[in-house]
Amino acid sequence: MDILDINIILYSAAFGLMLIGIGGIVISNHLIRIIFGIALLEAGANLLLLLSTYHEGASAPIIVDGSVPAMMADPVPQALVLTAIVIGVGILALALSLAIRVQRAYGTLDMREVRLKLEQEISENAGIEMPSSSHAPAVTTANSAAAQQESGS
Amino acid sequence: MNLLVLMIALPLLTAFLLSSINRISTLAARWIGPLVLLATAVIGLSVWPQLGAAPLALQWGGFQAPLGITLYADQFALLFALAMTIGTLLLWPRSAENQLRSSSLALLLAGTGSGLALSGDLFNIYVFYELMTVVSYGLIAGRGTSGSFASTLRYLVISGFGAALALAGIALVYQATGTLNLAQLAQLAPEKLNNLQGFAAFVLMLIGFGVKAELFPVNMWVPEVYATASSRVSALLAGVVSKLALLIIMRLLILVFHQPEALTVLLVLGILGVASGELAAWRARDLNRMLAFSSIGQLGVMFIALSIPGNAGIFAALAVMVHHLFLKPSMFLLAERWGGSIEKLAGAARTSPIAAALFVLLALSLIGVPPLPGFWAKLLVIMPMLALDQPLYYLAVFVMLAAASLEANYLFRVVMKLYDKQPAATSHKVHATADLATALFLGGGLIAAVFMLVPLADRLDSIAAQATDVSTYIQTVAPQQLQSGRVQ
Repeated sequence: MDILDINIILYSAAFGLMLIGIGGIVISNHLIRIIFGIALLEAGANLLLLLSTYHEGASAPIIVDGSVPAMMADPVPQALVLTAIVIGVGILALALSLAIRVQRAYGTLDMREVRLKLEQEISENAGIEMPSSSHAPAVTTANSAAAQQESGS
Repeated sequence: MNLLVLMIALPLLTAFLLSSINRISTLAARWIGPLVLLATAVIGLSVWPQLGAAPLALQWGGFQAPLGITLYADQFALLFALAMTIGTLLLWPRSAENQLRSSSLALLLAGTGSGLALSGDLFNIYVFYELMTVVSYGLIAGRGTSGSFASTLRYLVISGFGAALALAGIALVYQATGTLNLAQLAQLAPEKLNNLQGFAAFVLMLIGFGVKAELFPVNMWVPEVYATASSRVSALLAGVVSKLALLIIMRLLILVFHQPEALTVLLVLGILGVASGELAAWRARDLNRMLAFSSIGQLGVMFIALSIPGNAGIFAALAVMVHHLFLKPSMFLLAERWGGSIEKLAGAARTSPIAAALFVLLALSLIGVPPLPGFWAKLLVIMPMLALDQPLYYLAVFVMLAAASLEANYLFRVVMKLYDKQPAATSHKVHATADLATALFLGGGLIAAVFMLVPLADRLDSIAAQATDVSTYIQTVAPQQLQSGRVQ
C-alpha cells in the first residue's frame, strides 16, 4: 500500500508539472512566463523519465565488498535525465538571451505584440501593407509611446 | 561500416576546430568546411552499393546492443544522411559577415543530421534531434535582424514544447519496455506497446518530432521563420531538415507502433495540414510566405502517404519526399532575389529568363503535371488510397486534388506576373550566379528523373522494402536477450 501511494504522488507530480508548464505556454502572453513554462514542462518530462523505473528503497547499482544489494535502481534513466537536463539548461539560456534581443528590438516582452510587430516587419520588408485589422494601429501607437517613455527615462 | 561514423564525426570535429584554424589561416578556414563535407559525401557514396545487399549495424565502443548505442545504416537512412551532407554543401551559407560562425553551424547541422538519420537508439535520436534544433536556431538568428530574433524565439517556444513532449513519450516507452534500442523495441512492441500507453507515447513523439516536420498543429513557426531567415537556410530547413524529422516518424511507425489508430491520427493531421497549408498559401501575397505555406501542404501529403498501411505507404512517402528534396530548395533559391511582394515581380522574366523558365518547370512539377516527377509521386499516394476503399481515404484524395487546383491557381498567379508585359516600376535584381546554378542543378535533377522513371521507381521500391523489413533490422542489430527493465 505504501509503494502504491508514493507512486501515485510521484506520477501526479510529474504530470502536474507538465500540465502547469503547458498551461503556462498556452495561456500566458509574457515571454518570460512562457520560457518558465517550458522549463516546468521539461522538469515534468524529466521526472517522468526518472520514474519510469523507480523502485522505493532500491539502492545505487554499485557492488561494495562483493555483497549484492537486494534491489538496485536502473541507472539508465538517470543517465538519460542528466543529458536531458543539460540540453534543457542550454536551451533555457538561449531562450532568455533571445528574449533580451527581442526586448531591445521591439521594446516589449508581450507575445501578442511581438507577433504583431514581427508580422509588420515581414510585410514591410516584403513591400506589402498590413491587412487592416481594427485593433492593430491602436496597439502599435501604445507600444511606440511605451517604448519612447522607456528610452526617455 | 566504421567509415560511416566519419559522416557524423568529421563535420562535428571540423565545426569545433574551425575558429582555431581561422587563427592560423583564414583561407584554410574558408575552404575546409566544404572540403570536409565533400569527403563525407564520398565516404557515404562509397558505402552505398554495399548496403544494397545487407544493412549494417555498428555498436559504439564495442558494447553490444541493447546496452551499447547502436548505429543502423540501410539505404533508407544513408539516403537522407547523404541528402543532409550534399544539401548543406550545395546550400553552403554565403554571407560576408559572420562567415566563420555560419560555416561552423552548417557543419554542425550536417553532422547532427547524419547522426539523426543513422541512429538506432531512441534516446540518441532525441539528443541528435535537439542538437539539430539548436543549430537551426543559430542559423536562423544568424541574420541578425530584429525579425530573425523574434521568429527564432517563437520557433524556440514551439520546439521546446515539442521536445519536452517527445521526452515524455520516450519515458512512457521506457516504462513499458525497459529499453530504448529500436531493434529490441521492435521485438517487444507487439507485446508491450500495443495498448493505450503505447498509443499515448506515439502521439507525444509524433507531436514532438512533428514540430520540425511541419505537422499541422505545431507549424505556426514555418511562415515566420522562412520569411525572416536567409533563403539558403530556409531551403535547408524546408528541403532537408523536415525530411529527417519525417524519417524518424517513419522508423517509429515501421518498427515500434503498429496500432491502426496511429495511422488514423496521421491521416487526419495530414489532411488538415494539406488543407490549411494550401489555403494559406493561396492567400499569401509575398513569395517567401507562399512557399512556406505550400511546404506545409506538401509535408501534409507525406503524412497522408505514411498513413497508408504496409509497403505501399512507405514507398509513396519516400517518392514524395525525394521529389520535394529537389524541388523546394530550388524554389527557395529563386526566391532569394524575388522575395517580397508578388506585385513587384511583374516583368521579371525579361531580366532573368532562365530563372523564370526554371520557376515554371518547378511550379508544373509541384502541381503534378505529367510527365514531371511530381505527377508520379502524387499518383503513388492516390492509387493505394483509392484501393483501400474507406471514406477517410476518399476524403484525403479529394483534399489532395482540390489542393492541386489551389496550387495551380496561386503558382500561375506568380508565373503570370513574371511574364507580365508591363514591368514594375522598380528594376529587378538578377540572381547571383551560385544561387541560380544550384537551383538549375536541382531542377535538372527533376528533368533527368523524367527519363529514368522506371529504374528510379525500382530503386525507391527496393529502398522502401529494405526499410520496412523489421526482421532484418532485428537480426542485423541482434540485441542480446537481457533481463529487460527492472534489475531486481
